[in-house]
Amino acid sequence: MRNVGIVGIGYTPVFVSKRKDVNISEMISEAVEAAFSNTGLGPKDIDAVVFGNMHTFEGVNLPHLWAADYIASLGKPLMRIATGGTTGMSAFHAGYYHIASGLHDVVMVVTYEKQSEGDSQVGLMGIITPEVMAMIAAGIDVTGGSGMGAIGGGSAGGISFQASSYLHHSGAGIEHIDEQAALERRNAAKNPYAHLKDPDATAEKVAQTPLVSWPIRFGHICPTSDGATVAILASEKAAARITEKAAWVHAVANCASDATTANLIESQITDPAEHLPAIIASRQAYERAGIADPKKEIDYVEIYNGFAHQALMYLEKIGMCEVGEAHKLQEAGELEMSGRMPVNASGGVVSTNAIGTSAMNRVTECALQILGQAGEHQVEKDVHKAVAHGWGGMMQYVTITVLGDKPKKD
Amino acid sequence: MGAPEETYFTPVVPMDFTYNYRVGPYITRYLDGFKDKKILGSRCPGCGLVAVPPRKYCGVCNKVMEEMVEVGQEGTLENFTVGHVTIEKGRLAPAEAPYVLGLVKLEEATSALLARVGGIAPSEVRTGMKVKAVWKDEAAGDYDDLDHFEPV
Ligand SMILES: [Zn+2]
Repeated sequence: MRNVGIVGIGYTPVFVSKRKDVNISEMISEAVEAAFSNTGLGPKDIDAVVFGNMHTFEGVNLPHLWAADYIASLGKPLMRIATGGTTGMSAFHAGYYHIASGLHDVVMVVTYEKQSEGDSQVGLMGIITPEVMAMIAAGIDVTGGSGMGAIGGGSAGGISFQASSYLHHSGAGIEHIDEQAALERRNAAKNPYAHLKDPDATAEKVAQTPLVSWPIRFGHICPTSDGATVAILASEKAAARITEKAAWVHAVANCASDATTANLIESQITDPAEHLPAIIASRQAYERAGIADPKKEIDYVEIYNGFAHQALMYLEKIGMCEVGEAHKLQEAGELEMSGRMPVNASGGVVSTNAIGTSAMNRVTECALQILGQAGEHQVEKDVHKAVAHGWGGMMQYVTITVLGDKPKKD
Repeated sequence: MGAPEETYFTPVVPMDFTYNYRVGPYITRYLDGFKDKKILGSRCPGCGLVAVPPRKYCGVCNKVMEEMVEVGQEGTLENFTVGHVTIEKGRLAPAEAPYVLGLVKLEEATSALLARVGGIAPSEVRTGMKVKAVWKDEAAGDYDDLDHFEPV
């Protein structure tokens, strides 16, 4: 397989709850223009385009074809990827495959979500219909409001079982979830592309937000955002023509577990926080990347945490610390931008969630840290290797990408 | 070029979407069991896991689970959450009172069943509690025959 580097990144100028001033294709084009302007490339330099966003979310089922000319894809190979919350990273992986295989040299990956345009509940229905079926199968009265509480807000309800199990097994308390939300909203205040920013966020302030489904409070939950992200990937030879410094893909991996609502009503798993896919995919990725001890060799982590506790939980799952250790690292300040294991300096998904971009942004944010281009939210330590985690599917699907500052050696 | 802030279309689609989900033979058997207030699961011939509700495939070893078994009415509360909101047609509203939803591992079962937990104050609920099934008086083979679980 050939090495693949990230040679350009483009974001929409802002990620906010409602982009009222532009339509979907226009908003996407802003990120494409930003990627072109950052690299000096243009449509003629792109061999193929991969596109990703959530199924049905804007009521547009084939947005990649609708926006085809806005994403410089006319006359080129074009495909759309949709895997749920992980979509952005799955699209990135597809772009990687295009080049690693030798088929193409320069590929543009376009991801977006404009959640304000449609009804996310309707969009989620396309995903949670099977979840509702699983609940019916589990004997829950889905017509009653409390039954729906288990999947309230799409995944907040189901996620509360996960958070409950995480607290039970790790020894962490709800106050650690409060602090993680506060930490990331403080980080978000330093990221111009973040949505919910609060430079003065504290665990105490988060703790004042109402409970949705214990132990999840409103303050632990991601917003719905409008925004787009583009990454341009290139082979080693093409990258040398385009840029002096790229962030290089050292490994990609993904894994799913049981399709039945994923660790909520999963027929054969009793622990909703077990999340074997994260353990399996991260181990595979480290092996492919030649990483023996991620704790020592990985400098920076971006975790997909639609809910604040997931940053802590997944640090443990992907081997960045021992089980029950993440909240202690948080207490010691190690997860901060100045810490020894900085996580989500971007503010994470808990601060910004234009879903199609969310797993992609974990990768691009790792790339910016490696390239030293993260600006105000650049972490203090040098970043040579970073790991990006995506979470989604029907809550049971995980994607992993390992990046490095040099092309991977065979 | 600036656009007016709030120019949008709101198409009203003159259609009514209805899903008709066929539950298949496994859930049909499960609901038949409800008529006699029995809880059925399926056992894997490969690894012996017992899934409740019953299902065709064992995800662990990918074998067809042909054997139906009755499991106990009592079990352990593996996990729970306390709901503070309800959701109706996509809109969140405060719940009348906090309610408990749990994952219950029944005796002889190796999987957890999602169920309401009642007969106890939410603040008293603990992981690891022993709970038992509470049925509606008249069981008709419907999902809601198995009403909730309460502490033993
Ligand atoms: Zn089996």
